[in-house]
Amino acid sequence: MEFFLQQTVNGLTLGSVYALLALGYSMVYGILKLLNFAHGEVYMFGAFAGYGMLTILGGSSALVVPVWLALVLMFLAAILASSAIGVALERFAYRPLRQSTRIAPLISAIGASFFLQAAALLMFTANSRTFNTPQLIAIDSGIPFGPIRVWMVRVLVIVTSFVLMVLLYLWVNRTKTGKAVRAVSFDREAAAMMGIDVDKVIVVVFLIGSALAGIGGVMVGLVFGRIFHIMGFVAGLKAFTAAVLGGIGSIPGAMLGGLMIGLAEAFTTGYISSTFQNLIVFGLLIVVLLIRPSGLLGRPELVKV
Amino acid sequence: MTAPDETGIGVDEWVEQSEGRREGHTGFTAPARRLFDKLTPGSRLTLFLLAAATYPFLVRGSDVRIGITILLLAMVALGLNVVVGWAGLLDLGYVAFYGFGAYFYAIVASDQLPAHWPTWIAIPIIVAASALLGALLSLPSRRLVGDYLAIMTLFFAQIFVELVRNFERLPFVPDDLNLTGGPNGIPGVKPFEFFGFEFNGQELLGGTLPTFSRQYYLVLVFLGLLIVGLHNLNDSRTGRAWRALREDTLAAEHMTMPVNRLKLLAFAVGAGIAGLSGALFATVQNGVFPNNFNLFVLIIMYAAVILGGSGSIPGVVLGAVAIAYVPELLRDPTKAGLLFYVGIAVVLFVLVRRWDKIAATVGGVFVLGLVVRFFSSRIWDESILGEVNDTSLSRLLDDWVLNFESQRDVITSYAFVLAIVGVLLVVLATGWWKIAALIPTLYLAILVWENKLVFQPSITRQLLFGAVLVVMMAVRPQGLLGTRRVEIM
Amino acid sequence: MKPILELRSLSKAFGGLQVIQDLDLVVGAGQIVTDDDPVVGQGEAVADLDFSLKPGEIVSVIGPNGAGKTTLFNLITGIYEPDSGDILMDGRSIIGLSPEQVSNLGVARTFQTLRVFLNMTVKENVMAAAYGNTKVGMWGSVFRTPSARREEKQISDLAESKLSFFGERLMGYRWDQPAYSLSYANRRRLEIARAMATNPRLLMLDEPAAGMNPAETHEITELIGQLRDDVGYSILVIEHDMHVVEGISDRVIALDHGVKIAEGSFEEVATNPHVIEAYLGAGAAGTK
Repeated sequence: MEFFLQQTVNGLTLGSVYALLALGYSMVYGILKLLNFAHGEVYMFGAFAGYGMLTILGGSSALVVPVWLALVLMFLAAILASSAIGVALERFAYRPLRQSTRIAPLISAIGASFFLQAAALLMFTANSRTFNTPQLIAIDSGIPFGPIRVWMVRVLVIVTSFVLMVLLYLWVNRTKTGKAVRAVSFDREAAAMMGIDVDKVIVVVFLIGSALAGIGGVMVGLVFGRIFHIMGFVAGLKAFTAAVLGGIGSIPGAMLGGLMIGLAEAFTTGYISSTFQNLIVFGLLIVVLLIRPSGLLGRPELVKV
Repeated sequence: MTAPDETGIGVDEWVEQSEGRREGHTGFTAPARRLFDKLTPGSRLTLFLLAAATYPFLVRGSDVRIGITILLLAMVALGLNVVVGWAGLLDLGYVAFYGFGAYFYAIVASDQLPAHWPTWIAIPIIVAASALLGALLSLPSRRLVGDYLAIMTLFFAQIFVELVRNFERLPFVPDDLNLTGGPNGIPGVKPFEFFGFEFNGQELLGGTLPTFSRQYYLVLVFLGLLIVGLHNLNDSRTGRAWRALREDTLAAEHMTMPVNRLKLLAFAVGAGIAGLSGALFATVQNGVFPNNFNLFVLIIMYAAVILGGSGSIPGVVLGAVAIAYVPELLRDPTKAGLLFYVGIAVVLFVLVRRWDKIAATVGGVFVLGLVVRFFSSRIWDESILGEVNDTSLSRLLDDWVLNFESQRDVITSYAFVLAIVGVLLVVLATGWWKIAALIPTLYLAILVWENKLVFQPSITRQLLFGAVLVVMMAVRPQGLLGTRRVEIM
Repeated sequence: MKPILELRSLSKAFGGLQVIQDLDLVVGAGQIVTDDDPVVGQGEAVADLDFSLKPGEIVSVIGPNGAGKTTLFNLITGIYEPDSGDILMDGRSIIGLSPEQVSNLGVARTFQTLRVFLNMTVKENVMAAAYGNTKVGMWGSVFRTPSARREEKQISDLAESKLSFFGERLMGYRWDQPAYSLSYANRRRLEIARAMATNPRLLMLDEPAAGMNPAETHEITELIGQLRDDVGYSILVIEHDMHVVEGISDRVIALDHGVKIAEGSFEEVATNPHVIEAYLGAGAAGTK
């Protein structure tokens, strides 16, 4: 029972990070029909920005500011770096290709992902960095959850992600900009004719998606300690799986998919073997796609004849 | 009805005047392109094969290996071109078939199994098995189109790598059977051998060839046959049906084409070619390792197809040559430096296009360099005392650009970020503002190059690939030799 | 003799919206008894089939936008499956067949939204459509066997002859031009040529005159007549231009909200009060 709960908490932690990342994939796909393969790299840069801020503030063991302020500043740094990269990607790698064939932006995204990874290798080298979180937030801090105790950092990650997701959901469904986002994702041309500034909406989507990815990056650094220049690839692939699983383009779908992938991974690692973690996750995706080609909560695309 | 009765069917002045309106090639590449257009496909191939056949005699022995890499990339990219360029199926799992062929050959031609298969039996079986695997994997993907197909196939590729890495730990596999060698791969793969003739020595017909030549010519022969076969296939009912399917699947289906069978066939043909190339790769490298078949390799294949021109056979071959050869140049600092500065000059000409502005830019960069050096050396003398790359070009520049003795990594990182920002500004700016942004950007680029990139060929290569893909898509999405495509969304 | 195409009380609804309702239609057979009451009793509308057969027949389907005309085409060619009713080709049901199978039975169509293969040359567009009537396999093509060469020559000749049907418009240098370089009207012509290359008996044209100027419209009207007279196709046409409909039709069917509201000669249908009402609204019928 304890083990089961422990794995559930692990899965939820991992899953909420995946969900944050998946949201970025899903929103961009919903609005541009573009698989933003560089999203994982945006997340990786967010993690490094958070680490950079931590270093500037003296490092985990010798902080010059209170812990809460350090955390806030780290997240802010990550949000800034990630959204700057995300918006630059949109402006320079994707916007020139809006009118071109379907494959062009996909290749551009792969190229951008490659470029960003190499840039990270150049700037941060191949060495991994560690956040030393236990020095920041004691490992025995936390809240009781049945027979186990959940580390404060995990609580922070899970709660923050859920709050962010709820906020995003409300924003998309309740605000004027959110409505514009939905309108553009439904029919870009019609939305433009109704006076919606499509370019602006797309920038906003990239901004929010990338900011969420940056937050996810810092969270992963805090929970799992290590960050490295190719961390974006695997995480991006998993988040992407989550987005597809839930139904790419669907915001609740991305959340659901993220949590499912996180839990599936945690239980596979816990009960079977970490060797098969990826195999099972990808297998799960393929099975779901075979049964529901547009994902769990996605809507099938209509073709006009 | 206002139509006059004398209007016959299909009288069209536009058609009659067509000759006068024909557009010729323009620009400085026009003569080469006119010549290229004049050649028949057969003579193009002959010229290419002749040039390729003399290559081993023109270079040093180890450089022949680069030639083999190029030819192999051309082969596997041609297979990818069938699936992506012709049938329009976005297959991101293609690299798995390449890996499958390579591992298959490695297993039957090494000490992994007690039995060694003769090459002439192994090769047809590998090609057939890869094609079958391609057809099988396309079955579940039949209902998926476009991006979803890409997603599904991407996961097949990931699963392949996972399987190969963890083969011996899979359920139902006996402990002592480790077919794939796990993360260590399979070393010691035997060379091709046709009835006693081994493709690894240097003697041929009594003469001595440069090292690796036998493998080189083996791959070249396969590539030549492949080009002929694919050229014939492209101009056949199957080839046309594939392209029709790419253009408009629904319309193709209404025009008597069995869409599902054609998709399956495209996957199978592509996979078969990948399997063959993989087997050749295994014998040339004398071994296979999981990392030979990861996503990076897939991206190189895509880069070759796209850079050269998706759908065009000469384009894809040219793309493979460019993609495989340029990184090799980067390994040698002298050539790399030359490549970098020639590249900068080309970018400058394409971007600016006016002599006065080009002169202003070059002058500006030169002056900026002197000014920065003057002040920097007064404030912090370690900024000019750094280790200089040992090429004549770099030594020449040593008196101009900064060369840091300490803190090199940190400073170049910041300079790199600033240079990227500069590039983005250059793209956005117009007129003289473009020049104003270009001058510091170029200076920073040279600074980063001389201090860091020239020592890091593999990072440079990756940066270059990424940038080439992005820029290519924005500037010339049809590739070097491809034809422009339109698409209705 | 059996009619080429026969629909029996065909119905199709999308998400609760009835698009085609109890539709009967016969193409390629003789005269059809027009039903006086459009809503009730269509079951008998096509009962009388044993009239003398004309070699080819041109039937026009008219109706206001959203009447279900294109849906009718999509049902016949196998894109949609009907909810109820039957579609017979030469007396055999073709329900459940894929578009490819239907086209191999001799039904070819054009598209209202123009779906030429944009990045293939004009000639290749037509050659591609010969797929179903040719046999050479992949290996035959790869090795260019004598039979493959022969067949390739046949396909090429076929394409040229189909393209020559439109006079000079799609000839000469245009053969090697990509289809996207063609004008709207020429793309319509190319679609017809492409449909002809599938060797059909029934040709279904979805708004062939849309986007054409009066001279071109006149030309396409003559062409459709020639397609029947010279080649012998039975033709089903959706068209909005009444001059075209008048010029070509042996018989006209009017649809409104998926229901057949009139059928008969052009004059009969054009003066039918139900049709006028459908186009102009209730009350308009009396004013003409």
